[in-house]
Amino acid sequence: MSGSLHGATVDLSAVNSPDGDDAGVVHGARLLAFTDAAIGQDDGALARERSSLRAVLSDEAFVDTCAVIGAFNVVDRIADATGIPLDAGMAAMSGEVRKELDLARFASSANSPGL
Amino acid sequence: MSDAHEPPIEYAGSSVFVRDDLRASHCAVLDAVRRPGAWFTGAERIAIAAESRRAPDCPLCRARKAALSPEHPRSDHERAAGGRDLPAAVVEVAHRVRTDSGRLTRAWFERAIASGLAVEPYVEVVGIVTLLAGLDYFCRALGVPPLPLPAPLPGEPSRHRPAGLCSGIAWVPLLAPEDASGPEANLYDAAPLVPNIARALSAVPDGVRLLQQATRSHYVSLADLGNPMKGRAIDRMQIELVAARVSAINECFY
Repeated sequence: MSGSLHGATVDLSAVNSPDGDDAGVVHGARLLAFTDAAIGQDDGALARERSSLRAVLSDEAFVDTCAVIGAFNVVDRIADATGIPLDAGMAAMSGEVRKELDLARFASSANSPGL
Repeated sequence: MSDAHEPPIEYAGSSVFVRDDLRASHCAVLDAVRRPGAWFTGAERIAIAAESRRAPDCPLCRARKAALSPEHPRSDHERAAGGRDLPAAVVEVAHRVRTDSGRLTRAWFERAIASGLAVEPYVEVVGIVTLLAGLDYFCRALGVPPLPLPAPLPGEPSRHRPAGLCSGIAWVPLLAPEDASGPEANLYDAAPLVPNIARALSAVPDGVRLLQQATRSHYVSLADLGNPMKGRAIDRMQIELVAARVSAINECFY
């Protein structure tokens, strides 16, 4: 599964099943591992992944990563708790990606019937 | 005596600088939570926030998270000390939205409303819980303890309900940009694109404003959403990879 952004190919399968590869994104493997650890419950794993990520990112980039993790823990919950449907325009832009990521398996897909 | 100065923000033990706009957003969230809102007092809002922080350690929430169906088992939530006086429906919302939002259903929402929690207060609870969750996950990722909840400020809720709310699109009523007027006239800041996520908390407009500030500082602004070149010290591809992974783990279709 792949998608493209500005001519670069991204391996979308990494979103659902990270396998240690960068997925076509600079430092993608470390970003994914850190994200998993930040959302998980294992403090030791988080500390290890944080060190691993900070070894390759600037302080600013590391803080940005933490900020994105924070941001999407907000918007995911807002979307799921308010039952908002996916906007038609966004659905049109992201249809193939959504299909490849099999997002329809999520319970919240019921809020966007027909997509 | 209540301290009306902004709550201090210290990322205890952090070895990195947290940029000013992030710090300001976190301060704004904590300051908002301690103040009376549209439907809850400052004390109630702080109690709701504390409940949501308690939720990951709540035995009922843990059991539900592990269960195939979040509707079983059934029991009472283990409450935070300050949450004893909160209605059960408020505690249920605070705990579920924090711990298992990906499996929320319309039926669950309707049960919450049927149990006596009106829709607008529900939206206010959602705003508190979600914005605090973002702040807490930021701190966890950064490697610092959660920012302390401030003491509540006195005052009564405003009971403000914006004009122009429209039901039927989502579980909760939404305010479209073209229907925003009066105090909400500039709510969406003339953004070219106002997706439903930006409207989701509009039954309690201050939630929208806080979310906009949080989104601008933690992700990209509404105006830059459609610009694939807009990144930060990490590029947009890195941003979107992290975002997609968070949403996959949280099982969020949107």
